[in-house]
Amino acid sequence: MKVALATWNGRISPVFDVARQILLLDVADGRVIARREETLPGDEMQAQAGQLATLGAQVLICGAISHSMAAVLAGKGIRVIPFTAGAVEEVVAAWLAGSLPSAVLSMPGCCGQQKRCRHGRAGQRNERPWACKQEEA
Amino acid sequence: MVHRTKKEGALRTGAASILESISDGVFTVDADWRITSFNRAAETITGIRRRDAIGKTCSDVFRASMCEADCALRHTVKTGKPIVNKSGYIVNAEGRRIPISLSTAILHNERGRIIGGAETFRDLSLVEELRKELEGRCQIGDLISRSAALRRICELLPQIAPSEATVLIHGETGTGKELLARAIHTLSPRKNKPFVPVNCGALPDTLLESELFGYVKGAFTGAAADKPGRFALAEGGTVFLDEIGDISPAMQVRLLRVLQERTYEPLGGTQTRHADVRIIAATHRDLAALIRKGAFREDLFYRLNVVKLDLPPLRKRKEDVPLLVEHFVARFNRRQGKLVAGVAPDVMALLMAHDYPGNVRELENIIERAFVLCGAGRIERVHLPPELTGQPAVTPAPAGDTIAAQTRVAEAQAIRTALEQHGFNRLAAASALGLHKSTLFRKINALRIELPEKDGRSRGQKRVIGDKPR
Repeated sequence: MKVALATWNGRISPVFDVARQILLLDVADGRVIARREETLPGDEMQAQAGQLATLGAQVLICGAISHSMAAVLAGKGIRVIPFTAGAVEEVVAAWLAGSLPSAVLSMPGCCGQQKRCRHGRAGQRNERPWACKQEEA
Repeated sequence: MVHRTKKEGALRTGAASILESISDGVFTVDADWRITSFNRAAETITGIRRRDAIGKTCSDVFRASMCEADCALRHTVKTGKPIVNKSGYIVNAEGRRIPISLSTAILHNERGRIIGGAETFRDLSLVEELRKELEGRCQIGDLISRSAALRRICELLPQIAPSEATVLIHGETGTGKELLARAIHTLSPRKNKPFVPVNCGALPDTLLESELFGYVKGAFTGAAADKPGRFALAEGGTVFLDEIGDISPAMQVRLLRVLQERTYEPLGGTQTRHADVRIIAATHRDLAALIRKGAFREDLFYRLNVVKLDLPPLRKRKEDVPLLVEHFVARFNRRQGKLVAGVAPDVMALLMAHDYPGNVRELENIIERAFVLCGAGRIERVHLPPELTGQPAVTPAPAGDTIAAQTRVAEAQAIRTALEQHGFNRLAAASALGLHKSTLFRKINALRIELPEKDGRSRGQKRVIGDKPR
């Protein structure tokens, strides 16, 4: 499975819509068997998603992402784990351990997001049902 | 930690209260880019609670489009220069892009060392929405509009056009009925087939019948060969029936059959033909009123009125006049290879004040006329037709008048023009006309030309004859 992480200065890039760098991992049997860095155009949505699809990414772990950008990626069949924050290696380790999305490695405003959404605490300001749907998918 | 005096403490509390009360989002960061304060407006705009934000890396909280490639605060720290109103967007906790403008400042300690920075940001969502509203205009050929009525039509077109539904367009003359019909045809799957317009009001009944349905050889004297009608010519395409309100009751029955059964017979023919055409009809008349008067068949009206589009007259969408002027100026510049820069402000005021009984076509003609007179620069008042500038037009002499009467009219007009051009200075007007001043005075009296109170003499005060200066 190919997993892409939007990166910037050793951390997850804050906004995927304008991210210019990704770390592409080949994961098999819970281990990284290959990793390489790739660049993204960082401006237009279709180009951004197109490049990611061309690289064969099946999962994207990224920071903040706009609805429309997420929709374009969904259209390309790429699963998104959004609003992730933290050092790249920590996030990779968490992904391999199967603990993403996690409250610790989430952007503020999205802490414990999945639990909250699943427990039906709707109406909270920080609720992001659309993100949860993607994550559950 | 430095010991704070009471005064300092009070100042800080005061500043914090002020920051809490303003509508701009404000946050500060320390030297490690971790958030140290986050005001109420920042919470509202980003959708992140203060307690979640404090202590976190600013880019994880703020999530702005410029964080990665072009961090404003980093730039300020590097150059020492604050940034004011840099624009971008942030992605809030709900995944919405919020347009913002951003300003930065550096925070120093008492010794002048940099201890962090502050960012102030403003939510521009509303401004952006209003800007879009202003820019949001629709354009279908020459149909350019910002008005709500036309924009609704523009939004409807993509849904109407692909269907096979008959469309009835209602609008005054010159509002662009045929343009709209063409646009519907171009957006439809029939776009590669013909678009055939027929002006039903222009032809007498019998001629209209042979025009629409065609005739067969020998149908009448002179019908030497078969002639296909417009329905046959438009096969697979669209027939545009303009001025549908002007057709006779007999013709209405024939059209009704085409609309109901999609079949017709050519004049003199016995074979029924099938019509694979889409029909778009238009009228400037109030068909409902015609039905009440018995002049238009109700059943035909309902057949036509599947989708009705109302084109508003230009006087009801005056906000479009500047847009249309700009469009026509650009078009005539292109067509005629001229460099007209636009219209002068007073000309625009006149154009806005006009009522346009001829609608967009009239405005187009006004601009085209101005282009004849104006080659470069701006279109000025003098380039406009007299009915717009309010100046009396040259009154044509009533037909059938004697040559003497017509000469008098022409003379009066020449004298009026000369007087106006010379600010009603009669001596100057007389010399411009090649007349002696006495002759001019005589003619003014004889032709009963009215003069204003101020007579244009350079000496100032008007004198009454017999009132000698002392």
